[in-house]
Amino acid sequence: MTTESNTPAVVIDHCSKWYGNVIGINDISLAIDGGVTGILGPNGAGKSTLFKLLMGRLKPSSGSVRLFGVDPWESTSPYRRIGYVSETEKMYDWMTGHDFVSTLARLHGMTREEANSRAEHVMDFVGLADVQHKEIGKYSKGMRQRVKIAHALVHDPDLIVLDEPLHGCDPIARTSIMSVIRDLGEQGKTVLVSSHILDEIERITEQIVILHNGRLLALGNLHAIRDLLDKHPHRILIRTDHPRDLASAFVGSKPVYGVRFSEDDALEILTNDLSEAHSILPEIIVKSGIKVHSIENPDDNLDSLLKYLVGGDS
Amino acid sequence: MNNDESQLDIASGKTRMEVAYGSGDGDDDAKAVVARKASLGVLFEQVYRPWNGDLGPRWVRNYAIFRHHVYGIFSSKGHRYYNPFVRLSILVIFLSSLTPIAMIFLSSTIPGEASEWLTRMWGINRYNLWGQVLGYYPRNLCMWPLLTALVVGGMISDDRKNGTSAIYFSRPVTRTDYTVMKFLSASTVLGFVIVFSYMLYYSTSIVFRGEGWAFLIDTLPMFLGGLFAGILLVFTYTSIGMALSSISQSRFFAAIAFLSIIFGTKLMAFLVEIVFETSILYMLSPYDSLAHIGQWLVGIPPNYDHSIAFSIVSILLYNAASIGLLVSRVSTLEVTRE
Amino acid sequence: MDKQGRSLSETVWTRLDRKAGAITELTVRQLRHRISTWVVLGVGMLMIMMLSAFYVDAVRDGFEPIDNDGDSEDWDGDGYPLGQERKFGTSDWDPEQYPGSGSYVQDGSIEWGDDIRTHTGNHTWEYVTGIFTPIWIDESYQGDRWSMILDFDSVNFCEEENDASEFMNSWSVGWGGGCEFENGDYAFQEVRFRGEGTLRVPRGHYAGWGHMTDVFDVEPEPASNYINEDDLDWNGNALQSQGFDDDGDCLRDDWNLGPESDFWFDKDDNNNGRDCDVIYVLGVDGVTVVNIIADENVDEDPDDEKLLGESNHRGFIVAVGKIAFVMILSIFLPLFLALGLVRDETENGTLHYLLSKPIHRGEFITYRILGYLLISGTFVFLMSLIMASVTSLLGPGDSIIRFGDIVVWVGIAFATILALTAYGALFNTLGLISSRYGVYIALVIGIYEFVMAVMTLSGATLVPVLSISHWTLQLVDSIVLIVWDDTLFMDMMSNAFGYDTILGFFWSPPAHTLGTENPYVSAIISVIVLIFITVSMIFFAQSLFKRREIM
Repeated sequence: MTTESNTPAVVIDHCSKWYGNVIGINDISLAIDGGVTGILGPNGAGKSTLFKLLMGRLKPSSGSVRLFGVDPWESTSPYRRIGYVSETEKMYDWMTGHDFVSTLARLHGMTREEANSRAEHVMDFVGLADVQHKEIGKYSKGMRQRVKIAHALVHDPDLIVLDEPLHGCDPIARTSIMSVIRDLGEQGKTVLVSSHILDEIERITEQIVILHNGRLLALGNLHAIRDLLDKHPHRILIRTDHPRDLASAFVGSKPVYGVRFSEDDALEILTNDLSEAHSILPEIIVKSGIKVHSIENPDDNLDSLLKYLVGGDS
Repeated sequence: MNNDESQLDIASGKTRMEVAYGSGDGDDDAKAVVARKASLGVLFEQVYRPWNGDLGPRWVRNYAIFRHHVYGIFSSKGHRYYNPFVRLSILVIFLSSLTPIAMIFLSSTIPGEASEWLTRMWGINRYNLWGQVLGYYPRNLCMWPLLTALVVGGMISDDRKNGTSAIYFSRPVTRTDYTVMKFLSASTVLGFVIVFSYMLYYSTSIVFRGEGWAFLIDTLPMFLGGLFAGILLVFTYTSIGMALSSISQSRFFAAIAFLSIIFGTKLMAFLVEIVFETSILYMLSPYDSLAHIGQWLVGIPPNYDHSIAFSIVSILLYNAASIGLLVSRVSTLEVTRE
Repeated sequence: MDKQGRSLSETVWTRLDRKAGAITELTVRQLRHRISTWVVLGVGMLMIMMLSAFYVDAVRDGFEPIDNDGDSEDWDGDGYPLGQERKFGTSDWDPEQYPGSGSYVQDGSIEWGDDIRTHTGNHTWEYVTGIFTPIWIDESYQGDRWSMILDFDSVNFCEEENDASEFMNSWSVGWGGGCEFENGDYAFQEVRFRGEGTLRVPRGHYAGWGHMTDVFDVEPEPASNYINEDDLDWNGNALQSQGFDDDGDCLRDDWNLGPESDFWFDKDDNNNGRDCDVIYVLGVDGVTVVNIIADENVDEDPDDEKLLGESNHRGFIVAVGKIAFVMILSIFLPLFLALGLVRDETENGTLHYLLSKPIHRGEFITYRILGYLLISGTFVFLMSLIMASVTSLLGPGDSIIRFGDIVVWVGIAFATILALTAYGALFNTLGLISSRYGVYIALVIGIYEFVMAVMTLSGATLVPVLSISHWTLQLVDSIVLIVWDDTLFMDMMSNAFGYDTILGFFWSPPAHTLGTENPYVSAIISVIVLIFITVSMIFFAQSLFKRREIM
């Protein structure tokens, strides 16, 4: 199955969603097609609302949503080509993982045999082949997440929407789920993954969408976004036993416009140009001969990214 | 991209993050550690500081549980939540159980034959006192079982469903106290509607009709008989309902199960009585056993052929079985969301 | 996979089929995995088992013959049953009177207005008011005031100033009393005595005379002779006069009737010009019997095994069908099983899995209900088969298996399943309308349906129209009448002859037949109403669910 014509898999056009007086999604326009896209945003940013709009669970208050050119609220036909992993944690605990996947596969109109063989296939793909005949109730959280992914993949969809697939998983489960998602992206599918943790997304994809308070904050390559942000003030945190001595070495160098002593053993360098600051950093440290324990970029996570984007400057 | 940039101009600062995002995962404040080596390890000493406050006496703690459930009917603020529909039903059932009072009041205000007729229909006599709590239609067909189902259904099952039993069991409250107080609060609500309306009926009719001491002395034994029957009814219905509530995970299962026990056994017994001409199956029906005992207590001829002993044994068994089930369920209740 | 081949061999329908299969199967498995389902079904099964146990017990006891007309009783305790006393014209209220005890036979009388006011003779005189001039009088024939036989001990001389010609005009001796004149005449008022002489009766009064029959010996008959002594006779032709007075208590040809027999008795009570028969009144269609009018004492005590056994057997089936199946199973099973069909999925959030598949929400509801029906319907059907096997094997009749029973039970199962569907759709819709209030409303509706069913059983036909149970109960009535077309007839027989049968209690002719009195019409109407309720509920739920935003 391939995505025919040039209709993008996901088109969201000036879409807004209100819940009474609360705004869930505020005038968002997006077009996504091909590859893995991370939807980033803190809790309550509107990620789930966005996905529910995509899956036709909610009706947009204004604007439109199109999946393969079809309005999902009006028609169930796009679901033939979509796999959706909801954030729901409840499952049919009394079913085996295999049953769960094959039963849902049959809702795509597969015969029982087709469904069974497809279910085996996807359970193997998500790495649950050996436990697929155990009851879901006995699965760990990571395994449950993978069963949920398996059911979304069972009909070989072109678009896969994953709502917080890494939520609550331990690092091992996380790694294996991430590799599943990357594989999907490499197979040329359109994959949407939401998360509130930049790190996770960074390990899966570089293509991100940042949502905050229902607004679209940024869209595109993670690093490109970060570069765009370089002209915003950045901090570099250097842990050393002699912060004041090191500070004097920095004062006067070009990209640095200020220093701060936040803790006894740390120095904060304020800069307008992160990459240049980083390029001169080793040289200055070596010259000064002061022992440095660590260099951190406290702003290089979603938290600070968002702070900048939203306009906070603390 | 530039387009997005322009949208970022949120100078007002209104979209400043107010949400405490990223809670719960432990990943939230993870930082990209570039170069740092831990050279030393630290063991933190664990000190548990005992609480030095005074623990209120047991009855205070228990009263708090009781209050929590009973006050919830009037106000949900800080008390147990009762669905507005449940509250409305309780009100409607309570008001309709007070209708005889209105009739008696009417009879005391209007003169002549109409007044006599009203008194005959609603005034105090053995049959009316019995009927006030134990009459099948409409009280035991429409009102009391529904009331019990609505009030008692969720008493324990809600805790099981939501895991809120932990709120009690993580505090100095024993399971017995928990059960007893739940039982008491449920039966207080039922008692308020069923027994209190009965007492109100008796006392107001004496006041409205201006009856004297002689009347009071004549009718008091009947009144006490009916009162006891009413209390027995409340107790039995509560214990059956609580037992069902303790074995269910949803209040509706308990409620429907209670209704089906009350109506199902009654109907079955009725069917068998009509077809096979024996009233013995009424033993299985809690309502009929209570009604039988009530007829005996108030002193009216029974509607049943079998001996009163069967009904008494049946009620005792029903209560024993229900309370046994309740106690064993609560004592093995897992403090978790089931 | 060969896409081309697949698309050729597959149509939209087979795909739909598979989706339906998957959701239905999921629902069935889901219900199967809930303990409550098994508890509920188990309790239902227990109930059915208990009822059949009662039935088996009753069959083992056999049908005790019942004295429908009550003539086997011996009310006065003289050892002769009422029927035998009636035959001999003696009273069953007076132990002194019994067959062979000798009874009074009237020979003549002076009526109130007769012109001839005197009579002479040797008689037993009765209800005498007048002056008697005796030749001989039997002073040993004594009684008390209540037996109306004169008590000679209380007879005194009449007051001197009382003139015999003025008796009953200016003076009297009191009811049942008398006095003796100095010339030996007697004045009597309303008494009975024996004697020879001349009686003068004042105008406006009465006296009768006759003789006592001989005392002879009659063997008391056992009470059992007066049970089942008059069979029901019916040759199937409603146009003819029917019925035969087997025991002869209507025809009374060889009855030894005395004057004490009921003078109000009318051999042609139904006024068709024939003594002692039964007429069947046909409806306008010329087929349906709308009424049965019997002459008194005709066909009044039939063989209970034959009529009552059969009608009680049918009554049992109807009673169990209506109460256990329709009122208990079909109201409570949906409350337990159908309320959460979609609601629980929404509450749990598992709905997301199902709705992210290419399946229309409306279809989803339909298939869920189908799954629920598969469990509850199979259960109800099985239960009806259990009952069918019990009653068809043990029921009265000559054949080994009563096939009619099986058909009726299947019909009851059908009606119950229709009700299950309607209630299922209704409760499911309530759960959808409001997940918070819907369930409470469902409870109230359950009780309402229950009350409506009770009203329907007690014969109301107007108010309960607004309920599902009413139509289901009527469907059961119609099915019974379709399978056993003589049920109406039995019902009317029991009414006409005043029997208290179970059938009469639980079964009533279908009410809504559009005036045709045809059970097929009422059955079809009931089915249509039930299906209409189901379809409109599903339709309503669908349109509601389609527009529902799922969080």
